[in-house]
Amino acid sequence: MFLLRKEFRQIRRDKFMVRAIIGVPLLQMLILVPAVTFEMKHIDLAVTDYDRSPASRELVSRLTGSSFFRVCATPENYNQADDLLLAGDADMVLIIPDDCSKGLAGAVNPPRLQVMVDAVNATTAQLGWSYFASIVRDYNRDVIMSTGAAPSSIPGISVSPRFWYNPTLNYKYYMLPGILVILITAIGLMMCGLNLVREKEIGTSEQINVTPVKKWELITSKVIPFFIIGLLDLSLGLTIGWIVFNIPFEGSLLLFFACSAIFLVAVLGLALFLSTLASTMQQFLYVAFFFVMIFILMSGIFTPTESMPLWAQQFNWVNPVAYLMRINRMVMLKGSGFNDIARDMGMLAVLAFTFITIAIIAYRKRA
Amino acid sequence: MAAVEAYNITHRYGKVTALDDVSFTVDDGELFGFIGPDGAGKTTLFRIAVTLIIPSGGRMTLFGLNTVNNYRELRNLIGYMPGKFSLYQDLSVEENLNFYATVFGTTLKENYHLIEPIYKQIEPYKKRIAGKLSGGMKQKLALSCALIHKPKILILDEPTTGVDAVSRTEFWEMLSGLKHEGITIVVSTPYMDEALRCDRIALIQSGKILGINTPDNIRRSYSQKLYAVRYPDKYKLLTSLRSLPLAPCPMPIAPCSEPYTLSPEPFGDSVHITLPEGTKPEEILKALETAGLPGATITEIVPGIEDVFLELMKKDE
Repeated sequence: MFLLRKEFRQIRRDKFMVRAIIGVPLLQMLILVPAVTFEMKHIDLAVTDYDRSPASRELVSRLTGSSFFRVCATPENYNQADDLLLAGDADMVLIIPDDCSKGLAGAVNPPRLQVMVDAVNATTAQLGWSYFASIVRDYNRDVIMSTGAAPSSIPGISVSPRFWYNPTLNYKYYMLPGILVILITAIGLMMCGLNLVREKEIGTSEQINVTPVKKWELITSKVIPFFIIGLLDLSLGLTIGWIVFNIPFEGSLLLFFACSAIFLVAVLGLALFLSTLASTMQQFLYVAFFFVMIFILMSGIFTPTESMPLWAQQFNWVNPVAYLMRINRMVMLKGSGFNDIARDMGMLAVLAFTFITIAIIAYRKRA
Repeated sequence: MAAVEAYNITHRYGKVTALDDVSFTVDDGELFGFIGPDGAGKTTLFRIAVTLIIPSGGRMTLFGLNTVNNYRELRNLIGYMPGKFSLYQDLSVEENLNFYATVFGTTLKENYHLIEPIYKQIEPYKKRIAGKLSGGMKQKLALSCALIHKPKILILDEPTTGVDAVSRTEFWEMLSGLKHEGITIVVSTPYMDEALRCDRIALIQSGKILGINTPDNIRRSYSQKLYAVRYPDKYKLLTSLRSLPLAPCPMPIAPCSEPYTLSPEPFGDSVHITLPEGTKPEEILKALETAGLPGATITEIVPGIEDVFLELMKKDE
């Protein structure tokens, strides 16, 4: 179709665009996947040791022995430690009281450690704390055992976790499918919409509107190129994930692409609709950015949707990004099949149909 | 059959009335011009004619086809050139032409003869990106694109605005050539001198048509004798003419029921005035001399379109 040929010719001619189409997914994958991670390494720990005993040194060396902590300072007293925390030089402060070793040796009161955590970022604070707690717990157990008490005399349930689907708890595996979704959201929503509004802004749409070209022809000629570019960039991103990050792909590639295709239709429909409302690229960018932001942050890319308030979970019923986020992770990491994701896929299809229908109704060749 | 018939066209944008009860007809094969200042409603009227806007009131037909109901058929018959250059700036001259030819289901070859006289001038640059053409060349390309599907009517919205004088003359010559091919042409312009090249013109102001006639008849419709006064310092001349004891009306365009108004209007190198009955031109020169402007000249002239326009505008107010 000649309209399509024109679109491709224009895209191909735009050297910057061609570079962006290839460069953006490359950079996005290479930068975001390793960067956006919740794994904590090198938490700066300030230790004030009032005890100065072998036992307290053993505890500190256990902490620094893990890759999570490094001792950044050894303030002499509580106040100095507090200052370090305030200045942001330390993420955590550990205060070991002077009766620690006595307590461990079996004094009446068990030793009490004081820990202060910089919780400006709640997530890192939580993580740091849990690493810390587990190291202290291990140490505690060893101390008890070394005092001669038989292990069986310690009542307790033994839990040995095994992490399914991502056995090494590799954060990259969790983020990569999500970054792929962001990638095609940006292409679908921004690029397609901007292209449409640009024609409006420079007046070419006015010239086209007085021709006998039909509405559906115009719309398909605008949607198809970005649909194809979206899928191309998706393959590119996936290839990078496979080569650079060695991400496992458990499920069916076909299913993965089918879902992404449905998703692209939904996003393109939304872009089309927004472009009918906006008359300048500036207006469009502002509104589209808002949608991209809401969709992505609420989709569960960083925080599980299950922990969001109920209204947010309900909003995700109309959030195409949330569906694809879930589908991608299930298909890529768990190897889920069609039956497992049929509901999400169906909902995505309903959204795609609705968005594109609204867009077609809203699109006018005349005022 | 008339090419265009408009009956009581009214259009509002919110509270603003862009067109107020406009009626006119354009004959088949006519070169019809809309003359009026910016904001007169020309573009709105044209957008209604090319089926882009549904008017708030009234109806318009082109070759008997209604612009609202029969827009599908109509779009094949209309060649439209919007006021703003709106071809694809990132496609070449040739690609733009081929694209619009294909949009209308035809080819460049098929209608080459029609656009040849115009296209030949830009053909050496056919590989050039449209965005890098000069203003005059862009305009020729836009006209070629508007013609490529052999329309029965050309609707050109201010085609010569922002184009140099030579290109403007060339453009009007092209239009007369197209007129001979039998194509009806409706054109709008803010330039009064271009009006003379039209078969008939409509003077339009604030959404209303002030008058429709041939350029000659329009000029003859001027009600009084008109004189051109010349003096090296034109600004001084204008202010003096406004304050002469003969002319109690201080503002040139203000409504003035006094019979003794000179209605001075600056035009090029002179100021046009009308004289009250019984006043001789020499009296004006004498009055100017006493006002400190010796050596001014006065000659009777044939009214131009602009003079008529200004007179009609004042009457309308």
